[in-house]
Amino acid sequence: MRSIFKRAVAAAVAGGLALSLVACGSSSDTATTSVEDLSKAASMDGYTVDEQFKATEPVSFSILYSDHPNYPLKDDWLLWSQLKDRTNVTLEPTVVPMSDYESKRSLLIGAGDAPLIIPKTYPGQEQPFVASGTILPVSDYLDLMPNFKDKVAKWKLEPELDTLRQDDGKFYVLPGLHEEVWQDYTIAFRTDELERLGLQAPQTWDDLYTVLKAIKAANPDSYPLSDRFKGNSLLTILAQSYGTSAGWGLPGHLTTWDPETKQFVFTGSSDEYKGMVEYLNKLVAEGLLDPESFTQDDDTAIQKFANGKSFAISANAQNVVNDLRPAIADIPGATVAKIRVPAGPAGDVLATSRLENGLMISSKALENPNFVALLQFVDWLWYSDDGAEFAKWGVQPTTFTKDAAGTRTLNADITFAGINAGAPKHLQKDFGFSGGNFAYGGTTDLLQSMFTPEELEFQDAMADKQQTELPPPHPFNADEQEQATLIETPLKDSMNSATLQFVLGQRDLSTWDAYVAELNGKGASSYVDMVNEAYERFQQNHS
Amino acid sequence: MTIDKTSPAPTPTPSGGSNTTGVRDTRGVRVFRWVNAIILTVVAAVTLYPFLNIVAESLSDEQFIRAGRVSLIPRGFNFDTYRLIAGDEAFWRSYANTVLYTVVATLIAITLTTMYAYVLSKHRLKGRGLLIGIAVFTMFFNGGLIPNYVLISGLGLKNTIWAVVLPNALSIFNLLVMKAFFEALPKELEEAAAVDGLNTYGTLWRIVLPLSKPVLATMILFYAVANWNSWFTAFLYLDKADMFPVTVYLRNMIAGATSATSVGAGSGDLAQISANIKSVTMVLTVLPIVLVYPFIQRFFVSGVMLGAVKQ
Repeated sequence: MRSIFKRAVAAAVAGGLALSLVACGSSSDTATTSVEDLSKAASMDGYTVDEQFKATEPVSFSILYSDHPNYPLKDDWLLWSQLKDRTNVTLEPTVVPMSDYESKRSLLIGAGDAPLIIPKTYPGQEQPFVASGTILPVSDYLDLMPNFKDKVAKWKLEPELDTLRQDDGKFYVLPGLHEEVWQDYTIAFRTDELERLGLQAPQTWDDLYTVLKAIKAANPDSYPLSDRFKGNSLLTILAQSYGTSAGWGLPGHLTTWDPETKQFVFTGSSDEYKGMVEYLNKLVAEGLLDPESFTQDDDTAIQKFANGKSFAISANAQNVVNDLRPAIADIPGATVAKIRVPAGPAGDVLATSRLENGLMISSKALENPNFVALLQFVDWLWYSDDGAEFAKWGVQPTTFTKDAAGTRTLNADITFAGINAGAPKHLQKDFGFSGGNFAYGGTTDLLQSMFTPEELEFQDAMADKQQTELPPPHPFNADEQEQATLIETPLKDSMNSATLQFVLGQRDLSTWDAYVAELNGKGASSYVDMVNEAYERFQQNHS
Repeated sequence: MTIDKTSPAPTPTPSGGSNTTGVRDTRGVRVFRWVNAIILTVVAAVTLYPFLNIVAESLSDEQFIRAGRVSLIPRGFNFDTYRLIAGDEAFWRSYANTVLYTVVATLIAITLTTMYAYVLSKHRLKGRGLLIGIAVFTMFFNGGLIPNYVLISGLGLKNTIWAVVLPNALSIFNLLVMKAFFEALPKELEEAAAVDGLNTYGTLWRIVLPLSKPVLATMILFYAVANWNSWFTAFLYLDKADMFPVTVYLRNMIAGATSATSVGAGSGDLAQISANIKSVTMVLTVLPIVLVYPFIQRFFVSGVMLGAVKQ
């Protein structure tokens, strides 16, 4: 009996192994082909910038589609039919709920079953898939994408693209491209309270401290600033003006580029980082910043704002309109507005990149007879001015009109993002345009075309901010990546928990040196050495 | 062990200084009842509160929910959101999918479990140890996510109802409970049935199953609740929005907003679902399965204990 059981187990294990081998087998045969040998069926000869792409015969491409709960996918969207009319391309979406998009993306790529086009991929998220060879090194095929190349050259995006390069000098994700840096998240203030107390909107973090102190004096029972997003937005904008990074802005490699010494340093133990922590500690110690800011959920933070228990909170343009204004509607005379992102010791800077989430292409596209047509299609829809306008605004005259001066107006019966509130139809829900899979990035003109006057004013005020120097590429090779994966998470965890303890005053700032020693004990210094080696190697090999 | 039959089952009568038998309870018993009643009330309140809170929110005005002023009593009472959801095609389509998947999956599961468990309960079966071994093996080891995915798509089940109802059709825990129940049935009944000329299937169908209603009801409830609530298999193997069950729809609505803010996504693509819509969707989703419990409870209490102890 026992031997039968053993044999059955052995058979099951062997079967499982065979299956997983099948799963991996399809990934290794991506030989490099010269551009001339590529499959050109249905592609356009001499396709160039600002030309309408239209496949010479009907083709269809599979695409991973992140399904947004606000505008669930509909087959009868004008988006699909117009796309077919204009480009002769039918998209076959694999629909994935937005809530778990990333897990399914990993699964499909891992199982060798990924669609050709994989959108909604943030720079850095392609990293785990690079070694397996399942993702196309798109940088090899940019000659097929005239609009992409044109935008990169015109907007001088080369240094930003360099940050995407892997150890082989190639990049694997086609990012969304912005003409100019664009910062949306900042802090929103109860402007009526500022006015009542005769205060100006703060310009620097020192001003912010003074303003919060004045509000606290007038409202002793309140925490003037009680933050949402678990403090991540506040940390991001505060850190950049201290010349370091934290919160959402903390890079995966946990290091900061020091332009003076031309070296990477460990973010969490740098003097700049300490300066930021001291500032936050001061706010908490004097009761100006709610200690719960880093742990409470968003709804709780908004409720405090709604009940007059706090007067400032992190927000983006949509948060102000959708969350904050409705929340304070019951307080007579209450108003709220975003303030210009405050300046700090590192100057009046923004550390935002002009790249945003973009798309990956499966390696198996190379075997597709329509490979060239696929890249031309991607180039038109995501990177041409016409394609971007189509994805965002839709079709003239069905959804919008454009006058001689180039001003676009949404039709009166269609509403979107506060435009034509109350109109019967919705640009996203009923037509499929302005959806997250297709519409992002582009020219400043297009980006701002749907902004409210209030947001335009904010962007104007932000326009003279300086962009900080980008860190040079420092990609790990496979061995280093493996080591880094083991060490990064514990390092990040101990850095974040110590940061919180320092800020909340649970740990005294005089123990900072001990904390730095702890980080080094966990491998921070050898980790930084590894990053610097990777940087130097890349410099030698690829410049 | 003898049990004092004179004292009735302890009903929670906090006021009771005496009980129906006229025998006065000791001080200790009275204190125990009070403490018991208080603890149970607190537990019940803690369990019920989130549910009642969601119901109250679903009937309230958005304004009050945002300000965090709705607890148990709806404020700004209205049915508007229910009316809105009633017209939401996508919601009802996924709802219909859930009903279909749950019914089919439960039927398949209960059939397979009953047959497997009945066979395993017969000690004279050759290879019984192997059959149990195979079943128990899957409790400790599985093929992993990607091999499973490759298997299901290799079998051509992707984007069919079978991808949802087959992979988890058999719960080994339920199988073992049911096996223990069958083992506890008096052997003499089946011997009598055999003497009267019933074959194995006849015995199972006419003798054993009619006697097994409590355990069947319990298993159906277990399977139905699990299938109603499950979202992961559907999420893995279905690529078409019109096949999603309501749980996937609900999860996207609630977790979608959180995942977008966690990466600081551009404001244009943040999920902004009103608190009303969330709560109405939640109420409508849990309602049917909550309503089933009271009707099935009498089976449930006896069924789940039966077979737990071997004589």
